[in-house]
Amino acid sequence: MIVAERKPFQEIKDMLKDAKKVLTVGCGTCVAVCLAGGSKEVGVLNAELKIARKLEGKPIELGAATVERQCDREFLAELDGVIDRYDAVVSMACGVGIQFLAERYPQIPVFPGVNTTFMGANQDVGWYEERCRGCGTCFLGITGGICPVTMCAKGLQNGPCGGTNNGSCEINQDQPCAWQAIYERLAKQGRLASIMAICPPTDWRNQIPRTIVQPGYAKRKQLLAK
Amino acid sequence: MTDIKQTDMEEITIATDVLVIGGGLAGVRAAAEIADLGYKVTLAEKSAALGGSQQNPGALFGLSAEEQRTVADTIQAVSAHAQVDVLTQTRVAAFAGVSGDFTVTLATAGDVRQQKVGAVVVAADFTLQPLNAAYGLSLSDGVVSQSQLDALLADKAAEARLGGKVVAFLVGFGQEGNPLVMKRVMKSVAALAAIEGCTVYVYVNNIKVAADSLEKLYMEGRSKGAIYFKLTEAPHVSPDGKAITYRDLVVRQDVELNPDLIVVEEALVADAENRQLAELLRIDQDAWNFLQSDNVHRFPIQTNREGVFVVGASRGIQDLPAVWTDAENTAMAVKGFLGNGTKRVPKGKAVVDNGKCTFCLTCYRCCPHGAIYWVAESNKAIISPVACQTCGICASECPMDAIQIGGFSDIELKAEFLGNLAGGAPRIVAFCCQNSAFEAGQMAAQFKMTLPAGLQMVKVPCAGKVDLDYILTALAEGADGVLVLTCHEGNCKSERGNTYASWRVEDAQRMLVEAGYEKDRLRFATLASNMGKEFSTLLLDMEARIKELGLSPLKN
Ligand code: SF4
Ligand code: SF4
Ligand code: SF4
Ligand code: SF4
Repeated sequence: MIVAERKPFQEIKDMLKDAKKVLTVGCGTCVAVCLAGGSKEVGVLNAELKIARKLEGKPIELGAATVERQCDREFLAELDGVIDRYDAVVSMACGVGIQFLAERYPQIPVFPGVNTTFMGANQDVGWYEERCRGCGTCFLGITGGICPVTMCAKGLQNGPCGGTNNGSCEINQDQPCAWQAIYERLAKQGRLASIMAICPPTDWRNQIPRTIVQPGYAKRKQLLAK
Repeated sequence: MTDIKQTDMEEITIATDVLVIGGGLAGVRAAAEIADLGYKVTLAEKSAALGGSQQNPGALFGLSAEEQRTVADTIQAVSAHAQVDVLTQTRVAAFAGVSGDFTVTLATAGDVRQQKVGAVVVAADFTLQPLNAAYGLSLSDGVVSQSQLDALLADKAAEARLGGKVVAFLVGFGQEGNPLVMKRVMKSVAALAAIEGCTVYVYVNNIKVAADSLEKLYMEGRSKGAIYFKLTEAPHVSPDGKAITYRDLVVRQDVELNPDLIVVEEALVADAENRQLAELLRIDQDAWNFLQSDNVHRFPIQTNREGVFVVGASRGIQDLPAVWTDAENTAMAVKGFLGNGTKRVPKGKAVVDNGKCTFCLTCYRCCPHGAIYWVAESNKAIISPVACQTCGICASECPMDAIQIGGFSDIELKAEFLGNLAGGAPRIVAFCCQNSAFEAGQMAAQFKMTLPAGLQMVKVPCAGKVDLDYILTALAEGADGVLVLTCHEGNCKSERGNTYASWRVEDAQRMLVEAGYEKDRLRFATLASNMGKEFSTLLLDMEARIKELGLSPLKN
């Protein structure tokens, strides 16, 4: 899931300093699950803003809405019309949702309410850990299910580096060496051969936004283009 | 939702089979009692035989011959009972579902089976831990643990070997100790003292004799010549165990003894697998891994989950009569819970709005009673009316505001605390747990103690229901002060409702400061239901602070 955290209040307040009527829009999927931007967090942010702005003598009018997913236009459509009553929007979705919302309503300033941080797993309520950087060429098959792009400080695809230090990474004693972990897991499975071959580097140059069309839908996309 | 009355009832069918985990003394007895009441019982024991998996229970519990016979009879009765399915070498591999409808996966060497049970009884054993390290000793020929001594004494050749020897016991300095530890010591002291020429010294801190017949056992050893030194601090023992030196307070000098054998005490600790079992069954543990939290509301044998009971050693009970009582009480409690398999429960105790639920699992992870589950077909959180205690923790934690508690819905509560915020006197909204602060408040009012004129008590089923949003919204809408009043620590009927409330208050105070507001307008305090006087003091104090700060500048 995509993990985000609420932006510092001061920053949100500053972005909204000229706005008088603001709609805060939550997203009911990833950011709700990571307790950063669901309907609860929308209510809490609004209450905080209301207090701060009243104290400054610049009361603000606030609306709240939470849609299922801000990255789906069908759900965003629920805001059509509603949104025109406001002079700014705070989106609590991840960067994807914020952009998709801003794209749909180009006439109105859309501000981010969260910092989108990573793709990660739920360790416990309110506790998330990064596991994938979306490199586009997943190596997990040869690395025993441990991602070196994410877990290795240098993102090495052929490791470890010379800094590996008894299981720790050279950047920090408390940071485990991803390649040590990869080695150990593969050794246990008797699959060390899988990291003996040199793995070709990912081409990080000239990265442009990636698009995926699932094979079965290529025709559908062509149809849409017409 | 809001018009569901707590009096609307529904009938629910539950499973009536019972799983007993652990075939030690407590487990066999509980299984026998429950089966006698007519329920079908599966008794799962991890070792190869019933009767106390890890050690000789006779020695461990210091059982008399008669008691040992009773234990043997019980084991026999259970093994032959038509209603009891005994599975040895069996562990709980997986556990799912909810009170009255658990699905348990049992793994017996090479075989896995799944079954539905309505209730579970956990009857784990103790593990013995020799405390030689506390005395700076290693176990050797000259230094043995209590268990090793028990084994030595059980052997007939022991008498010959121990005759003419000096044996010294070290007890009560490595741990606080308890009657069962003392009972084991005293039994072997008496046995040793009876051996011709064997001299017994016992270096002991507090002599715990607060259990049946311990005093008698103590006198028996002494009358046979054993000598007890009651010390306030541990004697000095040479690392090889050859010399024990202690300060004699009467003659006021150090006295040295050179024993042939030192016996070190043992701690009775929770079974090493308790932690794992607790996680699997989703029940709380105490600081020592016994399977019951320290909570005054937890009656013996109850856990934080309805339909899951703990008996004997699994909750730290050590003495056979007490274990027996536990087993009997459990059988009654199981009957009380399962009845004939139909339960009448209030409708709409806590309900999930499927349209809003995003299935984040927050409620499942936070519910202190393990009352939330899901089924593959729905993929939404479901709350069991059998297990739910309506604490409201889930409702306050849900990021989608998808859960409503019957009689305490968001709409009802907000209308209550937002409805009355205008007026001259400082408006103080006090969210009061109905189990403690609310009663204290009513007491204060009844006894005409002074209370702020603008006080508004808002009754909540548990402080766990006090939502972060309620606190901030009350202040944002012009409440002059907000108090969150909960039960004392360790006193919450829902274990952690007060803890969640205190975290939320801290979080809200941080946000108030961020927003440039005075954090003193929000306070957290704990109270007991009989603390009317303290309630009044607390509120007057809050009112005084509000007067210093002035009325809320946020009023509409
Ligand atoms: S907008 Fe972002 S947070 Fe919301 S569902 Fe889409 S990816 Fe997840
Ligand atoms: S290699 Fe790592 S970053 Fe790349 S897709 Fe796999 S998990 Fe994600
Ligand atoms: S906390 Fe709310 S959204 Fe999450 S699973 Fe429970 S009911 Fe659903
Ligand atoms: S109200 Fe309390 S007991 Fe009931 S489901 Fe929610 S958290 Fe569990």
